[in-house]
Amino acid sequence: MSKPMNIDSHNHLQRVESIRDQLEQQARRQSPELVRRMAHRRAAAEYRPRSRNDSSRQVRNWRDRTLLTLIGLLLLLFVIRTETAIADQPAWGLQLFSDAAVFTELAVDTDIQLDITGLVARVEITQRFTNHGTEWSEGVYRFPLPDDAAVDRLRIKVGERVLEGEIQVKEDARQTYEAARDAGQTATIVEQQRRNQFETRLANIGPGEVVEIRIGFLHNVSYSNFSYHLRLPMTFTPRFEPGRQAENRHSDGAPQPYLLPAMLSNGHHLKLHATLVSAAELTAIESRYHDVDIRQAGNGYTIDLLNPDELSDRDFELSWTPALQSRPSASLTTYDDGESVYALLMLAPPLAESITPRPREVILIIDTSGSMQGTSLSQAKSALLHAMNSLDAEDYFNLLQFNSTTEQLFDRSVPVSGDSLLKARRFIGKLHADGGTEMAPALSAALHLPEIPQLMRQVIFVTDGAVGNESELLQQVARELGGSRMFTVAIGHAPNSWFMRKTAEIGRGSYVHIGDPEEVAERMSALWGRIKLPALKDICVDWGDGAEFYPEVIPDLYAGEPLWLLARLRTGPTMIGLCGEFNGEDWNLNVNGWDAVSSDPGDDNLARLWARKKIEALEDGLMFGADPELTKLEITGVALDYGLLTRHTSLVAVDRTPRRRHDELLATTDVPSLLPAGSATRLAGYPQTATGWLAQLLLSLFVLLLATAMLLFSSSRLPMTKPAVRAT
Amino acid sequence: MNLLHVLKRHWCLAAVAFTAAVFSFDALWIPVKAEIAQHLLERAWLRTLAGEPDAKPWPWADTRAVAILEVPRLGLREIVLEGSSGRNLAFGPTLVNTGRIEQSSDRVISGHRDTHFSFLKKLQTGDLLRLHTPRGTRDYRVRWQQAVDSRKQSLLIDDAVERLTLLTCYPFDAPFPGGPLRWVVTALPVS
Repeated sequence: MSKPMNIDSHNHLQRVESIRDQLEQQARRQSPELVRRMAHRRAAAEYRPRSRNDSSRQVRNWRDRTLLTLIGLLLLLFVIRTETAIADQPAWGLQLFSDAAVFTELAVDTDIQLDITGLVARVEITQRFTNHGTEWSEGVYRFPLPDDAAVDRLRIKVGERVLEGEIQVKEDARQTYEAARDAGQTATIVEQQRRNQFETRLANIGPGEVVEIRIGFLHNVSYSNFSYHLRLPMTFTPRFEPGRQAENRHSDGAPQPYLLPAMLSNGHHLKLHATLVSAAELTAIESRYHDVDIRQAGNGYTIDLLNPDELSDRDFELSWTPALQSRPSASLTTYDDGESVYALLMLAPPLAESITPRPREVILIIDTSGSMQGTSLSQAKSALLHAMNSLDAEDYFNLLQFNSTTEQLFDRSVPVSGDSLLKARRFIGKLHADGGTEMAPALSAALHLPEIPQLMRQVIFVTDGAVGNESELLQQVARELGGSRMFTVAIGHAPNSWFMRKTAEIGRGSYVHIGDPEEVAERMSALWGRIKLPALKDICVDWGDGAEFYPEVIPDLYAGEPLWLLARLRTGPTMIGLCGEFNGEDWNLNVNGWDAVSSDPGDDNLARLWARKKIEALEDGLMFGADPELTKLEITGVALDYGLLTRHTSLVAVDRTPRRRHDELLATTDVPSLLPAGSATRLAGYPQTATGWLAQLLLSLFVLLLATAMLLFSSSRLPMTKPAVRAT
Repeated sequence: MNLLHVLKRHWCLAAVAFTAAVFSFDALWIPVKAEIAQHLLERAWLRTLAGEPDAKPWPWADTRAVAILEVPRLGLREIVLEGSSGRNLAFGPTLVNTGRIEQSSDRVISGHRDTHFSFLKKLQTGDLLRLHTPRGTRDYRVRWQQAVDSRKQSLLIDDAVERLTLLTCYPFDAPFPGGPLRWVVTALPVS
């Protein structure tokens, strides 16, 4: 190699006219053979370095780059795929916001009057609106109410006119309203179709007119963590009603009826005045989200908002804490309307310290059907793991999963041990959601497991409740429950909460909803803390003859949560007998009728609350095969007797004097969303409705083609390059 | 032997080609599955009509056929499933409402814009939509079509109103899924 290299360098130096060049030229002239050989070598030498150092490197770079691009594209595809997969998850389906079924153009001013007597709150909400349009309008006004509110009053003030609402059968009420609307009279109607979803329609509001709507309802105070709570929802979710916007946009100048949205108004203030009268001694009163001024007045307290310009942009919550005793106690309130006596009995649990925790048999059932796929399943899994961690050493447990088939971890419940817990955690880890929702066999399996003597069986049922055969399932639970207790944990944004709550009611347990992954720990601890300490079991109440009482199935009394029992009695109670099991022993308590706090004549709140419970029970009866027509008649009857707004009755008020002249158009007549309608409004999320398969296909085909082309290209080039390599 | 050698030498390229092939089959499977499922569903629908309460299209299915949506002008017929989960949407348009279709009057049906509901872009105001449920047939006429932002507004379902709403993603030809916009077609019953 050294020799050609020499010649090479000679060649390179050729351009510079050196002595050596001159000598070479001389040699060439003398020997033609040398010239030929040198030329050959020079050509080879010149060719090789170029092909080795430039051309081949370029080819390789080019290939590397393409390869990298292709890999990049593939990664992109992968990202898109996961993106779609994730986009699918956020709980979509139907989102029911029970308190926020509710949207309204916010009121200018909100005035709340709250009267709490014992366990019943009478709430009157007054809201003022202004029609800022230039036309006569029909307004739709939806408002949020707390759970189980019994609506019974409506008063509208338009200008100087005051209209009092009256309860009518729904169809009649609607006819009355429509007739008044078309005749140009100011009229209003409040309708309900689902629980806690109400809608008010107001016809013939003049331009610039101020409307004042007052709605009154009764509400049971709730109790948890040793305090009473009253929460009034006041925040509203924007909504979309199909058709409405298009109409506003496209119709030529069709007027848009509106009540002024809060954002645009100068004032949208909240005023609140509350009175609180309680028989029990209170240790604290607290308002969670607002600053309040609390004063003692008479035999109770008054509560006012401190800030007179408080905005109505967050819920109002009031809580107060009574002093507790070491044994279960009962308090009785009665109301006599001349015909019957209505009684409200509250059973308060004792302090948690005075309850002896007893070992239990905990059976967890998890729904792994297709509808649980995604975040629902992971929430359910973490709820289960949380439950595993909360088991006590003496407890027994078992795990079941079901989709199209049921699978149980242990043949019979096993004691809590390191080994059994490990098995359970593995079982939970491996769960994945697929298949149908065959709930009945799973419930059956859980309720029929071999019993463990002396242990109370608690079935914890984790599901989204997406089933079609609700009534059969409820009947099954009622039939097969025996001495077990059933607790339901609803998972996801839109569980079938009615079904879950009823299952728990029939199962004499309780219901909890986990809507968010962050809520798992909090809600599960709350559930666990409660069911760990059953204070009073197998409660029985002797109201006397002819009593009609609710709830019909009396649940257990747990630490930190009192029970309310409402009854209608023929005569004033002399003695109400209570029995049950407290800390493993028989427990008895007699409540003397003379000790009852009786409501003032005319204060018929108890009667209405009782009626509300009766209506709820009648509605539930439908699920157990009650005749729909008969039930409707019964509900209507009760509602008219007690003056309650229900699915079949509405509140309607009409001003007898027509105000709008016939030649003036009522603005809303063409607006489709204002069809004479009820109020079964729900808010739904939007599903993710694109697969992106075309983009994925095109992209991956492109990558495939390029890669294949490159493979073919390199294979066709290989035979040419290989011999060349071998030659050197 | 030659090909094998090439694959060995360029395993990286081969892997890329293979993955790309898998992805393209996967992509192609989506519309194919959508089509096949509709045929399987047809049988389930017949069983539903025959009175079977919970006619599942296949034994492990977590849904059932609840209605048939027809667009006479476009000659289209789609079987509507219950429950708008991502999984059900792969097989057909789905009913957003919870509960049974017979109990609802404000019906909302959603579908993928690039499979079952691709026809939505061809729909015109005034088009006839026909919905068959086990209870009978109802005709609707398209009255409004509009795009909404799903981040800003939720959908209001009001069972006091008789209405059929079709929902899909928008824009129709966006290459990638996951956008916030939705196309909403509102149809009112023909009386």
